Amino acid sequence: MDQKVTTNSEPLGKAVEDLERAEAHLKSARAEEAVAEREVAEAIDEIREAERDLVTVHVVHVNEVQRTAFKEKRSATLQQVWDEGYLKLEIPRNPKDVFQTAGEHPKSLMSHLNLTLEQALKQGVIDDYRFGIASETGGA
Amino acid sequence: MAAANAAPTLDSLAGAAALDEDIPRVLKLEGVASLEDLGWSRPNRLTLLVPMKGVRAGNTDAFLLRLGFHAYRRWPPSAQFVNPQTQAYAYPQDQHHVPVLCSPECHTHTAYPRPPGTIQLVCCSATLEFYEVQHSVESCHRWRETNTFFTTITAIRKAFTSHYQGRFSAHGR
Repeated sequence: MDQKVTTNSEPLGKAVEDLERAEAHLKSARAEEAVAEREVAEAIDEIREAERDLVTVHVVHVNEVQRTAFKEKRSATLQQVWDEGYLKLEIPRNPKDVFQTAGEHPKSLMSHLNLTLEQALKQGVIDDYRFGIASETGGA
Repeated sequence: MAAANAAPTLDSLAGAAALDEDIPRVLKLEGVASLEDLGWSRPNRLTLLVPMKGVRAGNTDAFLLRLGFHAYRRWPPSAQFVNPQTQAYAYPQDQHHVPVLCSPECHTHTAYPRPPGTIQLVCCSATLEFYEVQHSVESCHRWRETNTFFTTITAIRKAFTSHYQGRFSAHGR
């Protein structure tokens, strides 16, 4: 019957050819779509991977009563977090400033500035990613 | 900046106004809506009461810090650890309400000479009494008018964290 249709009806034969061409395009488009979907999935994985290495740090400036929060790599040192804090807060560094933990029990981090966030957390130097900048006081 | 060897001058109206201004700033910084959320209270326009804790050998001791704002913000707030019942400090009977803080930045004395008598001194350049006794101070440590009472609280909290040595012994013991 197919042969009869092909040989005996030119319009129908052309329509079949068009259909075959369209099916080929669809096959090709689906292949491209699959590639695109795979690329999107890979990109999402990359983003998630990058995010796993980032944490949100909070920095308050005690004397200026200002606060900021920003993303930082776990591999960033406390010194780098301190430096970035000034930039985000847009407050100049005072030579007598001290970097410390925030909250009800602040403690100086000046002896630990070379530790990364990850190391500081693991070693119990910090309990979380909340920090403070405060000018040293005098008294004895 | 608080001038070297200058005696603090009192200005209660300015102090109350500055405190009115600074409380919302500190609450915002702390991420809370009210003083009560922090456990603090303001019994009158010139006073803040701030509970503090010291931990030593696994034991937690509670203290009450009274901040006074009668010379604020040109000068830091007055800072005294007080008897929670009376919200005042009388030497020597209340000395056990004072924590022993021995930080180079903040050191407590239950009876520091200030003629004609003595006062409790939270010896820290962020307290009024420090200037009242005309304690020596490096210029870099002097109080600045841009500072707030949060500077004072944080300095004392920091001393509690790393240099708390218990409370002064009760009078007569």
